[in-house]
Amino acid sequence: MQLASKTYGVSDIADAQEFYHSRGWTDGLPVVPPTADSVAACLDWIGMPADFLVGIEPVRERAITAEKLAINAVMAGCLPMHFPVVVAAFTAMLQEPYLLHGATASTGGCAALIVVNGPVRRELGMDGTFNALAASDRATTSIGRAIRLILINLMDVRPGHVDRSTFGHPGKFSYCVAEDEENSPWLSLAEERGVPEEASAVTVMSASAPRQIMNEWTTQPEEILDTFVAEIKANMRHYSIWPGNYAIVIPPQLRTHFEAANWTKADIRRYVYENARILRSEWADCGKSAVVRDRGDTEYGALADEDSLLVIAAGGPAGGFGMIIPPWLGHKSRAVTMAIGACIDCEPPPAN
Amino acid sequence: MSIQILDPTHENDFAQFNPAKRLSSLEGATLGVISNGKEGTKAFFHAFERELVDAYGVKEVVQRVKSNYSAPADPHLLEEAQEWDALVAGIGD
Repeated sequence: MQLASKTYGVSDIADAQEFYHSRGWTDGLPVVPPTADSVAACLDWIGMPADFLVGIEPVRERAITAEKLAINAVMAGCLPMHFPVVVAAFTAMLQEPYLLHGATASTGGCAALIVVNGPVRRELGMDGTFNALAASDRATTSIGRAIRLILINLMDVRPGHVDRSTFGHPGKFSYCVAEDEENSPWLSLAEERGVPEEASAVTVMSASAPRQIMNEWTTQPEEILDTFVAEIKANMRHYSIWPGNYAIVIPPQLRTHFEAANWTKADIRRYVYENARILRSEWADCGKSAVVRDRGDTEYGALADEDSLLVIAAGGPAGGFGMIIPPWLGHKSRAVTMAIGACIDCEPPPAN
Repeated sequence: MSIQILDPTHENDFAQFNPAKRLSSLEGATLGVISNGKEGTKAFFHAFERELVDAYGVKEVVQRVKSNYSAPADPHLLEEAQEWDALVAGIGD
């Protein structure tokens, strides 16, 4: 396979590490040196020519080719079989509602949360149970990391360059989770967002760091959700009041109670939509009275609509914990779901 | 042993943006400022406007704000900008 990228000769693996680190081409961790063979294997797996145009970043008009995505995926530790998920995730991030440039350049310091659904999870050994949000397995870790390296090397999203984050958060290394569909009675996130059950898909969201809650002292769905809602409201008071996509991650111990009460994800989304609301005057309780002004009675909802809540079944079997994943900043960036292997702007096959 | 490894970057393989034509003088010019609209920028750009008029003889400063401070300027603003002699991208936080 003919590749267009410039090649460099290095003496050994250690030399390769220094070569990439010294040029600012990594996230600070060691990388897998991408060779022509390993990159070609990724492209062969997905069936894309090296110069396949995956998309164009709309603000800075950067053309993104399959070859460059594959090089960064190899560096992140991806196997060829992981590569279609990487391509789908970055294609989703290139869609206008995601607002890639704003989300990656902002001082707000969000990361790309990637939720994987469908049969591909089992094929890749992705584990949505123990330690679901952090290095649960090889595939989720390397796929999430690939997205970060792609941003660094193809979009110049390096700290102090395009990336103007005040803090960032650890999810910038890798922020990928596979939904635990096998142990859940619910529709998957992708199904809820219109993807057929038999298809695999990714959902990407510009996401702040996760905030953990715990409620092991009730079996009532409303009371469990009141704890999630309280954390969302805390985020609205302490960080951003504006509505956007929130994700909540519900583990098996809490899912049991929802299942016993016949609560679906739609029921959960409705409850959170109706209850995750604060008054502007609440800002005065946390040192922000200067911006309450004369609008203290104005009510703000965390969600613009019920569909703005992403409900994800994941987590280890024990523990009445839960996770709130807030948006980067309100609705400026919207979550995007994309089927893996879907072709955007493809011509339909000719009619026979 | 030698390993041939690949460049992971864009290698500057993208269309370069050409800088806009510079004005020889600001005297009598109409300048637009498209601000990202963040709260802290308002006083700054008003002071900037006074400076342009008082110190550089700018005829008029047109202040506009983007609808989304994290996104490119709205198309109608870019259309309006065609009427100005120069445009300042007003980024602040």
